[in-house]
Amino acid sequence: MASTAVSSGARRIRRQLPTSPWLFAAPGLLIAGAFILYPFVSTLVNAFTDRRTLVPGEFVGLANFRELLHDDMFWIGLRNSSLYVLGVVPALVLLPLLLALLVHKSIPGITFFRSAFYTPVVASIVVVGLIWVWMLDERGLVNSLLETVGVGRIGFLSDQWLILLSAMAVTVWKGLGYYMIIYLAALANVPRELHEAAAVDGAGPVRRFLSVTVPAVRSTMVLVAALASVAAFKVFSEVYLMAGPSGGPAGEDTTLVMLVQRTGTGLTGRVGYASAISVVVFAVTLVLMLLVLRADRKEES
Amino acid sequence: MSVLEKVRPAPQQPAATAREPRITDENGRRIRVWELVLRYLLLLGVLALTVGPFLWQLSTSLKGPTEDIFSSPPRFLPSDPTPHNYERVAETIPVWDYALNSLKVALANVVTNCVGAALAGYALARLRYRGRRVATLVFILTMLVPVEGIIIAQFTTMRELGLNNTLIGVLLPGCVSALNVLLMRNAFLNLPYEIEEAAYVDGANVWQRFLRIALPAVKGTLAVVAIFAFMGAWDDFLWPLIVLSDPANFTLTIGLNYLHGTFANDERLVAAGTIIAVAPLIVLFACLQRYFFRGVGEGAVKG
Amino acid sequence: MPTSRRTLAVAAVAALLLPLSACGSGDGGDGSTDASGKVEGDITFQTWNLRANFKDYFEGLIAEFEKKYPGTDVKWVDQPGEGYADKISADAAGGTLPDVVNVSPDLVAPLAEAGLALDLDKAAGQYAKEYLDGAWASHRIPGTEGTYAFPWYLNTGPLFYNKTLFEKAGLDPEQPPKTYDDLFDSALTIAEKTDGEVATLANVPTIEDFGRYGVPLMNEEGTAFTFDDAKGVELLTRYKELYDAGALDTQALTATPESSGKKFLTGAVAMNPGSALDLANFKKQAPSLYENIGITDQITSTGHVNMYVMGLMVNSQSDRKPAAVAFAHFVTDAAHQMSFAKQVAIFPSTAGSLDDPYFTEEDGTDETRVRVAAAKSLKTAVNYTPVLFSEQMKTELRNEVAKALQGKQSPKEALDNAVKSCDRLLKQQG
Repeated sequence: MASTAVSSGARRIRRQLPTSPWLFAAPGLLIAGAFILYPFVSTLVNAFTDRRTLVPGEFVGLANFRELLHDDMFWIGLRNSSLYVLGVVPALVLLPLLLALLVHKSIPGITFFRSAFYTPVVASIVVVGLIWVWMLDERGLVNSLLETVGVGRIGFLSDQWLILLSAMAVTVWKGLGYYMIIYLAALANVPRELHEAAAVDGAGPVRRFLSVTVPAVRSTMVLVAALASVAAFKVFSEVYLMAGPSGGPAGEDTTLVMLVQRTGTGLTGRVGYASAISVVVFAVTLVLMLLVLRADRKEES
Repeated sequence: MSVLEKVRPAPQQPAATAREPRITDENGRRIRVWELVLRYLLLLGVLALTVGPFLWQLSTSLKGPTEDIFSSPPRFLPSDPTPHNYERVAETIPVWDYALNSLKVALANVVTNCVGAALAGYALARLRYRGRRVATLVFILTMLVPVEGIIIAQFTTMRELGLNNTLIGVLLPGCVSALNVLLMRNAFLNLPYEIEEAAYVDGANVWQRFLRIALPAVKGTLAVVAIFAFMGAWDDFLWPLIVLSDPANFTLTIGLNYLHGTFANDERLVAAGTIIAVAPLIVLFACLQRYFFRGVGEGAVKG
Repeated sequence: MPTSRRTLAVAAVAALLLPLSACGSGDGGDGSTDASGKVEGDITFQTWNLRANFKDYFEGLIAEFEKKYPGTDVKWVDQPGEGYADKISADAAGGTLPDVVNVSPDLVAPLAEAGLALDLDKAAGQYAKEYLDGAWASHRIPGTEGTYAFPWYLNTGPLFYNKTLFEKAGLDPEQPPKTYDDLFDSALTIAEKTDGEVATLANVPTIEDFGRYGVPLMNEEGTAFTFDDAKGVELLTRYKELYDAGALDTQALTATPESSGKKFLTGAVAMNPGSALDLANFKKQAPSLYENIGITDQITSTGHVNMYVMGLMVNSQSDRKPAAVAFAHFVTDAAHQMSFAKQVAIFPSTAGSLDDPYFTEEDGTDETRVRVAAAKSLKTAVNYTPVLFSEQMKTELRNEVAKALQGKQSPKEALDNAVKSCDRLLKQQG
């Protein structure tokens, strides 16, 4: 979705059966429509009802949305989900790129490193959560280390802000390898000649990074920024695991999707109200996505 | 984290290897020794961060029944390593049957995602037609839907199709993921148009151009999609749980969940289960990773 | 694409799909409470996380049933521990609920209200006397008629404590606290003597703690919560003192039962409630701690300990109600519960079973001691958690309690707010 501008080349390659583009896109559209968008339409509808898990609801107009405005937990959720985007996205755009550059060069043992760096991605988030909760515990590994170096123990999992920060750290940790491979695939496309030319010109590594690498993977950076910000705003598992099901001390670490899960699932779930929150999440991520794309286009022109 | 043990497996000796002629960068130039040392130091640092927690899990899974696993401060190395816990996992749950089910779903997911995402990505990136932007928008919107809110509606849809309690039901919702479509779109967008133009002039139709020219040029991204697809299917828990009722169809993540619960709470078993779940993915990644480096130039015009 | 056309398209799609939200349960079965008739046909039986350890027991049980009632075929499915409520929700919404379902009282209540659970007072009332009164009553819903599940296995347990930590704080490890006053005093002593290093409890008070402390939780009619009375405020005020003194673990505000168990295993907290099952876990996970574990009775001001109840619900939409009821009764009858209790440290809910020598005679081991004590206390035990207390209400209470402990509001305000939110949720439920 990065650079939407179509180069003039595309216009020249045009002759095709009018149906073939749709044939190409059909399987993907069909699946997306039937199993994601169609169910989501029911969420849209439910957002205007007082439906519960086992009781079909009645139309209540905008009541759910009005209730949202006065629900402290909703604002806490909105705050935390937004903070998550601000905290996580810059790190996830930059760090994996640096990591990709680090493992890009073929030096002995690099295969081992590349695979090892990917480990956090492949482990399921539940496992990752359990491991980190255990490590960041008051008496866990990290605090033992901090104590030996004389810093003293830090209550990573008892303070609301530290919990949120810890969850962000886990998200970044788990995302490193994921976005690294997207960058690796993109780096393979950077023509070597460019680097060589720059090196011959006597450009240092930082200059080469800024003037050769970054422009070459810019569309990938935008893609990563878009993916990471949507994922960050919809964060659930990391915070759920670090802060506990009720969302940290006094629920202060609740994110919007945690609120969707908490209010809407289970046999007593308020499906209608949760759907209204889902709709808000959907709308905000849409805006986020558009902002990223717009920033991209502006920079391009 | 356990920095101390994980340094071991690293194939080091930068000073010695630096003299060998094959230590060159991608341009065939020799890399300076200090740079190589710096690189290895950085690599080891990141390694400690990324794998440390798993090594600890591995160590827990190898601890015998007489060893405390909750000692404080934690002990890193098992005093008497034993594969016993892995045997017990296999005794407690039919781990091979579940792994086979997971493998079926994951492999099918790889095929459908690679095919579906490549086709759709090509249509979005390289073809011109009315409605292209709408099609792109559909995929973007799909990605924005918060899945936590639609799972019951997905289940009802699946039941209406008569596909609940089947592996196909597990597979379908993710079988062409929007994220993968957009990744493929991005890869195709970055291809220079010139490489297709030659074929076009030769009279190749759109399918031929797609299969013979565009697709081979995005192998790297295709490998990424394959990994993501495999991983997504392999790690998913909630959806398979909701769709499947018959234990004969259960996937590995559901099966491993039996290892912790009211009557069976043994961290060693959970740890062994974790390793069983992660290991195949690491192997898969190690096998596929060289494809990420085959980029655009391969078999086509150099960019 | 012009906006107007896009909006139109969306509206058209929405109109087409509107009926989607109206679908749900309602197919299959006649929904009546009549379960008389011949016991035959295929039924599905769903348990909650029992297959891994008790496969042989259940397969034997099913074979026995099928032999006793020729023409029946029981298909057994077992679900893992996590996501059980989600699984049942999806099945209930999709009309695919099994015929006999393993439930806990809080799962039964919404299913019964939605008409998905068979009223056993009507359909199988003749069996009621076979069970302990308290157990049979645990699947009733205040304010409504009917009992919606056969009681199955029960559990309760002692309070475990770490003798080493007691000694370290200068307390007599052989004199564990017996009353709430003792408990709070010991907790403050331990915190003081160890400079806040060792906490005594790992959890904030839950609804069941309020119940055990003697706080009235709900009115008779089941229409409003009452735990914000003076007694409730008193308990929360005591907990606030503990929290301020460091006698409550610093991570208590985010603790889960699983995490507090780990805290106890690492020696970060000195006491933890548990059950006979935990003894085996302690032995396995922390052999060195096991030797220093003290076991004492659950503390209660009401004279009744808390118990957990599992039940078997019959799907009211089932086509095979006679077979489903017969099977649910078969699994929960005295003989089969007794043989299950001998497999694992749980307790039968059938009348008289707890007088079996297995539950009354000591043999000197810790396991037996815990078992005998628990069995004795179970005869008068209460499931304090109201069946109408949903997951959402638990979260409300927990978060208000946390604010009180942090000093953001007074205990009184916290409980008033919690009661207010829970009442609101209750109204929306019913």
